[in-house]
Amino acid sequence: MIASIMIQEAAQATTELQAQFNDVFSGGAAAALMPFTALAVGALLMLLVDIIKGGAKLRPVVVIASLLTSAFCAWNQIGEPASAVLGGTYLVSSATAAFSLIFAIGALFAWVYGIGYYEGKLQEFRGEHDMLMLSATAGMILMVGAGDLLVFFIGLEILSLPLYSLAAFRRARHDSIEAGLKYFLLGAFAAAFFLFGAALIYTATGTVNLAELASLYQGEVAQSPIALIGGALLMAGIFFKVSVFPFHLWVPDVYQGSPTPITTLMATGTKAAAFGFLIPASFLLPPAATGIIAAIALLTMAAGNLGALVQTNVKRMLAYSGIAHAGTVMLVMAVILASGGDSDVRDESMNATLFYMAAYLFTSTGAFGLLAMLEREGEHMLTLNGLRGLARRRPAVAGAMTLFMLSLGGIPATGGFMGKLYVFMLLVKQDMIAVAILGALLSVIALGYYLRIIVTMWMEPLGEGEEAKLAPVTLPASIVTGLCVAGVLVMGLMPGWLLGLLG
Amino acid sequence: MASLLFYALSAIAVLCALGVVISRNPMQSVLNLLGSFVAVAAIYLLAGFQFLAAAQILVYAGAIMVLFIFVVMLLNLTDREESQSVWMGLFNGRILGSLAVFAGLTVSGLIAANGNFAPVDTISHDGNLDNMTLLAEVLFSKYMLPFEAASLLLLATLVGVMLLAKRERNGERHGAQLSSQDGGSEA
Repeated sequence: MIASIMIQEAAQATTELQAQFNDVFSGGAAAALMPFTALAVGALLMLLVDIIKGGAKLRPVVVIASLLTSAFCAWNQIGEPASAVLGGTYLVSSATAAFSLIFAIGALFAWVYGIGYYEGKLQEFRGEHDMLMLSATAGMILMVGAGDLLVFFIGLEILSLPLYSLAAFRRARHDSIEAGLKYFLLGAFAAAFFLFGAALIYTATGTVNLAELASLYQGEVAQSPIALIGGALLMAGIFFKVSVFPFHLWVPDVYQGSPTPITTLMATGTKAAAFGFLIPASFLLPPAATGIIAAIALLTMAAGNLGALVQTNVKRMLAYSGIAHAGTVMLVMAVILASGGDSDVRDESMNATLFYMAAYLFTSTGAFGLLAMLEREGEHMLTLNGLRGLARRRPAVAGAMTLFMLSLGGIPATGGFMGKLYVFMLLVKQDMIAVAILGALLSVIALGYYLRIIVTMWMEPLGEGEEAKLAPVTLPASIVTGLCVAGVLVMGLMPGWLLGLLG
Repeated sequence: MASLLFYALSAIAVLCALGVVISRNPMQSVLNLLGSFVAVAAIYLLAGFQFLAAAQILVYAGAIMVLFIFVVMLLNLTDREESQSVWMGLFNGRILGSLAVFAGLTVSGLIAANGNFAPVDTISHDGNLDNMTLLAEVLFSKYMLPFEAASLLLLATLVGVMLLAKRERNGERHGAQLSSQDGGSEA
């Protein structure tokens, strides 16, 4: 008798669980997660391919197939209505899909530039290298799609941990190990900040779900000191990843020490992923923080641009330039806060961020990629001295590099210009004219070092004895460089087309 | 009574954590860390999370602690001499600074809030379910995505660590070369 009751109860519990399970998986969760799943499967396949005899030849197939599948699925999601799946832990919208697309393309480009970059024994670890690259990209997708602080944190770690070891990938070199160690220690510190902030927010509100938090923050919870401190700490953790002003000091060393293809991925992907979360989560900061955020943004631009002016190593210079660009995007955050979290302004700001990051993706990937190519001729090619007279030896490379520098500097007819214009327009619309003027002035300083590279390449004589060495330019790398050039020009000349896609 | 116990355990956890940073002897640091872990586990138990408490003891105090002790013993750090006094070292090392900032922020936040905590989002159940079932139910429904994604995280971390630590095929190790080169400057 008792046994039959227990069985009945168990059966009932099972049906309830089943119902709950179905409930969670309704609404196309599998389709929504496809960009992430494709990369996760790719990462697993990469490990499998590595242990099969002769499977090494399949590695490029796995990388390209999973990245393209991910990009294709993300492309299909663009334009679909926003929805939350898996019990609100994952969000899909045009914006998250566009970000996922950016990550997949960026990772693919970075990977292509990595072909032939590693020499000798490092080739042995190519499988692990590619697997970590795929996981890091999967982490980025999870970050922008996160509907929950928990999911975001796990995405952040899936992104960060592989990058720590990839930064130290050339482990025979001191600077590479230094980069890995620095990135790891400071990254762990930032993760602790984030977690502490998230814990305080949970204490104040009792939830980590972003949608629930957003509605709670409309009320008086936003005024509670615990929530405020939590929000500030959480933002500090993310600001580290975005590399804005007080948290930017690690960037030059880490970017310089990491293998250049990995630097490419860090510079474009990590930043875009963190911004993709910052914009929708900006409600965690009170509107009163507008001034602080605007100041941080301007200081970041100043620190990046002034730091870059004195560099002679081009890779380091581009790292500082990346800091300055992060500052420009931070201005968007100030706009949202100034509007008091108005949803129209937030959507507009999201589009501006997306456009800026897409333009930065093509420009920065192209610039770092060309550096990775030149680096194969010798380490000295990374310095301004090495670039002297490059136009005479390699007009095509110098031409592409010139375009990327112009785009980074924000010269009209390039994607970089349209991105900056969009950001400054948003500022003016919010009546933050002083901030816009200061930002524009700081961007002008940047032209100083971008133009220096162009002048060095085109107008200075060749260094001695450098005619002989010419590393062959591989076909995939030329195709990707061509795509980057096309991307920069299309975004600069026909920005409306791209914005139309986002609606 | 329960709140008194909670404060006592919290104090032990914080003091032990401080001890980890302050102790000069690495072995003492490790033991302090162990104390902190156990105190936190006891707090979990106090809050009614038996499973978490058990996991904390098994995973942290058990597995991770053993690794720590292994590393400390292998590196033979115990007889390391420091010319500076402990306190000077702390001030220079900014550790105390960051700790102070953290503690200050927490304390001021907690005091300012005057104990205005949100009611914690308890998962509704009719009281028949035990702790483990409850946990499993949430893990496989509401928190399915983070739970599954964590497995990718662990795998990627594993591969990343292997990438850095693996010997190359000819038996030579970069790490070994490096440490012998660096040995002089390090010591």
